[in-house]
Amino acid sequence: MALADYKRDMEGCSRCSSCKWVPFNQIKSWRFAKNCPSICRYNFHAYSGSGRMIIGNSILEGRSELNDSVAEIIFRCQMCGACDTACKVYRDDIDLTEVLLELRAYCIEQGELIVEHMAMIDALKREDNVLGEPKARRGEWAQGLGLKDINSETCEVLFHAGCRYSYDPDLRDTLRGQVRLMLQAGVDLGIAGAEESCCGGRAYELGYRGEAENYADDLLSRVKASGARTLVTPCADGYAHLKFLYPRMGKELGCEVLHVTQYLQRLAQQGKLRLRESVPLLVTYHDPCHLGRMGEPFLADWREDKLQRPMSLKRSGRKGIFDEPRDLLTSIPGVELTEMERIREYSWCCGAGGGVLEAWPDFALWTANERLEEAKATGAEALVTACPWCVRVFRDAAAESGLELPVYDLADLVMLSAGITETARA
Amino acid sequence: MTSETMTQSFETISDEAYRDLEAAVGAEYVSREPGVLDGYTWQPTINDDPAKWVKRPVAVVLPSCTEEVQEVVRACNRHGLKFKAFSTGWGVYSGCTYDNVVQVDLRRMNRILEIDEKNMYAVIEPYNCGAQLQAEAMKLGLNAHIIGAGPACSPLASATSGWGVGWDGVYMSYGHRNLLGAEWVLPDGEVLRVGSLDSGLGWFSPDGPGPSLRGIMRGSAGALGGLGIFTKCSLKLYNWPGPPHMKTEGVMLDAQTEPPEHMRFHLCFFPDRASLDEAVYKMGESELAYIFTRTAVGAYVNTFAPHLLQNVSRTRAFRDVLSKTLKWGCTIILVGNSEDEIVFQEAVLKEIVSGQGGLSMETMQAAAIGPMMVMNFLRVSAIPMVFRAGGLFSTALARNEAWDTQMDWAEKGEKIKQRWIDRGGILDDLADNPFMALYEQNTWGHCEEIFQYNARDPKHLASLEPLFVEFSVAAMEMCMEPLSVTDARLREVISPMMGHYNEWQKKISLFLDARRAADTGMYCDEVDIDLSKIDPEIRETLDRMVAKLTWSEEGPPS
Ligand SMILES: Cc1cc2nc3c(=O)[nH]c(=O)nc-3n(C[C@H](O)[C@H](O)[C@H](O)COP(=O)(O)OP(=O)(O)OC[C@H]3O[C@@H](n4cnc5c(N)ncnc54)[C@H](O)[C@@H]3O)c2cc1C
Ligand code: SF4
Ligand code: SF4
Repeated sequence: MALADYKRDMEGCSRCSSCKWVPFNQIKSWRFAKNCPSICRYNFHAYSGSGRMIIGNSILEGRSELNDSVAEIIFRCQMCGACDTACKVYRDDIDLTEVLLELRAYCIEQGELIVEHMAMIDALKREDNVLGEPKARRGEWAQGLGLKDINSETCEVLFHAGCRYSYDPDLRDTLRGQVRLMLQAGVDLGIAGAEESCCGGRAYELGYRGEAENYADDLLSRVKASGARTLVTPCADGYAHLKFLYPRMGKELGCEVLHVTQYLQRLAQQGKLRLRESVPLLVTYHDPCHLGRMGEPFLADWREDKLQRPMSLKRSGRKGIFDEPRDLLTSIPGVELTEMERIREYSWCCGAGGGVLEAWPDFALWTANERLEEAKATGAEALVTACPWCVRVFRDAAAESGLELPVYDLADLVMLSAGITETARA
Repeated sequence: MTSETMTQSFETISDEAYRDLEAAVGAEYVSREPGVLDGYTWQPTINDDPAKWVKRPVAVVLPSCTEEVQEVVRACNRHGLKFKAFSTGWGVYSGCTYDNVVQVDLRRMNRILEIDEKNMYAVIEPYNCGAQLQAEAMKLGLNAHIIGAGPACSPLASATSGWGVGWDGVYMSYGHRNLLGAEWVLPDGEVLRVGSLDSGLGWFSPDGPGPSLRGIMRGSAGALGGLGIFTKCSLKLYNWPGPPHMKTEGVMLDAQTEPPEHMRFHLCFFPDRASLDEAVYKMGESELAYIFTRTAVGAYVNTFAPHLLQNVSRTRAFRDVLSKTLKWGCTIILVGNSEDEIVFQEAVLKEIVSGQGGLSMETMQAAAIGPMMVMNFLRVSAIPMVFRAGGLFSTALARNEAWDTQMDWAEKGEKIKQRWIDRGGILDDLADNPFMALYEQNTWGHCEEIFQYNARDPKHLASLEPLFVEFSVAAMEMCMEPLSVTDARLREVISPMMGHYNEWQKKISLFLDARRAADTGMYCDEVDIDLSKIDPEIRETLDRMVAKLTWSEEGPPS
């Protein structure tokens, strides 16, 4: 597909501004009524989902041109999908996220590149991870856990750690704890260790589609070799790409894909994971965009008139993963959940996605702080989430703003309750 | 990328003027980047021009306070530029109509400055949206009028600058009736405070002590940005006996609102028009209803299940059920302060409905429809769904009058629409799609004829202008002030038949705006329309009307 293939989507915009707001039924206050970090931070309409579509349409009609500043506008967006979900509450014929992705690919095609993104892609090509860390050290986190190495053995469940978890020392205890929870439940678990690569999803979101395809092929072959029937990942970003992007690119992994919270919840339901210890804590849960609305599985492409598209094929975000993390969280004795105003498919983004953290860290932190304030307003003692990118940016934002709110990965609390001592730090 | 890909050229702003705008609001908050400007130029809604782009502004500014707005307006005056206010910008009216216009996007002025619980009013800025105000007001047992354009729109823009009709009008009236005061940056940059505010007495009264200029600043339709920029206003709030928050699961089609105490949601149907009319008048006399609208079955189905309507409309029997059996109906939400009161209200409603041979179905406590639909009416949250069927819609025959006159208009509108549906010029919504509301317990009310079209269908786009002319002529035939009073295309024709209203507006404009700095295209200016292509029969009617109704120098025709 090319940008021009989305002309009808762009022209469909009525300019109603719904893409800037939480779905109207769910607006509960003045303070937390908005949903798009980009327009909230930069204010010109061009920074909204609608505004970016108008830019695309304007370029296609020869009214304006793509230049450095327009490319910046296109990329100062977390690709969080809040605009798309909000638009689709009311409309059936506009696929906003796809237009945003297409605009990014168009920028790359036209040579309008963001320096920090180029650096990231270079690092990715060099080291197979988006952080530019040495490839050889990717599997170090698993030392001593006794996991199967899928390069030489087969396994039932392949654990794909993802780039952020593999390298972020601050998150290592969490990652190891997740694996130990699964091992303790008797799961036949394997990893690719140093041979694990990025899923390629971030490259796709930045507009580098060739790279994304290569990494998808790579993962595909690894899954095949492992013989795994299930792939579990703790990375929400990666989860969305495997559930949506891969099938959309025609890359069928041939196994069930689960986020680690789903898997742990299953284990808990089956009685294989016992949550015994009380964790007395009033918490609020942040839905990671890529586990929630963007984690909705790929349904089908619809190439006909989208006005005629059956509702069941509309990517509404509602089939994302919202309930399992909450179920798991509330099954921990002592944990009490209080919800923020913006949740589930209309959740506010953490700020880290879409290449924003790398190119405009101030914008990422600003976005995260908005969320921390919302979390704080619930009276919760801690913010819990289920994505390493979210945890990272929330902790950094809290440190920067001085807002005192511990941030946990959901697995941290599960570990505490299951008596796993690999201690979590907030 | 080179500029070779740009095939169109546009006016630009001088560096000097641009620097002045930067000085007014800060460099970060001004842009002349064409892609950014086009964000304000794409205005497809209620825009009959198939291109859907309006005039591109030469710059856009984002002021944060009244002083910055003043500085922007003064800079425009100095540099011979025009300016145009923009609150949330839904609808063609917020777009520029001239070259060399600076768009003043008021997005950063977004606060609720005060909710005076005791005196029941709120003071707000332009980019505070209807849903935000309602959410905060409800926490205090109050509610704010939300127009039919929905909760994304600015209550300030509506109350100060354009129309103001909504389903809650039966209880919460019309836009300008709720306006209690305004801070107004005039087209020369001076600030005028309207009503008691100017006497230092606060925001409670629009008509003094202090200047009462509501007639001039607002009138019936609003100046639509043609007389300056309103930076704050106070709006009347109303009693809300419901919960502080309408607890709702889901977002729209899956929405389920917890039925609050003392609230009922009734769908009423009547055997014929006469019985509906009679019942509506009786409801008004009984001071019944918190929300009221005529039930337009085709519109409801087309909004919530457009594919269903497409299929149904091919089936004669179903079509008849929807368009004939369920034709004469209304949707009513009752809200009481106590259980006793709601029981009483419901008993009165039932008596009125059954007295006219009608049927009334309570769907809030007793069926699933109410919990799904109630926020759509209380918060007007489903309005963007009207675009599901075809991508766009427009409206005609919209004015305020007594109920039975409105029903006449609705019937006339239905006939016109049916002809265009038969020709394939607009979407089929069973033709009967009037948006009807009452004001102030039915002392007056509103009707407009909505039509939906497929924005990507050239045949539909080609229908827009002739349909507009046909509706406008029909309005004049029915002695109705056409919606087109705010449409520059017909002012030249219509104004002489309506006491030269347009010339008076121009005088007001000139008085307040000697340098003509405000963009008055939507307020009082004219543009040519090619009438040569319109249906000869309609042209004949128009000529007849012009000959009969045009005012002379001395006054109205005898
Ligand atoms: C789908 C749809 C349905 C509609 N239904 C209704 C309806 O049921 N009832 C109704 O009353 N109207 C209706 N309208 C018209 C609507 O009232 C106006 O479009 C509404 O005021 C839009 O609010 P806004 O915040 O988008 O204002 P904008 O579009 O930003 O502004 C509306 C007008 O007011 C001017 N304006 C805005 N802010 C200021 C300011 N601060 N100072 C001076 N001038 C200003 C603008 O220049 C423009 O001319 C509908 C419009 C649409 C698109
Ligand atoms: S919600 Fe959709 S239709 Fe409305 S302005 Fe945003 S992109 Fe356009
Ligand atoms: S993807 Fe997120 S940040 Fe980007 S425009 Fe949409 S809502 Fe805004």
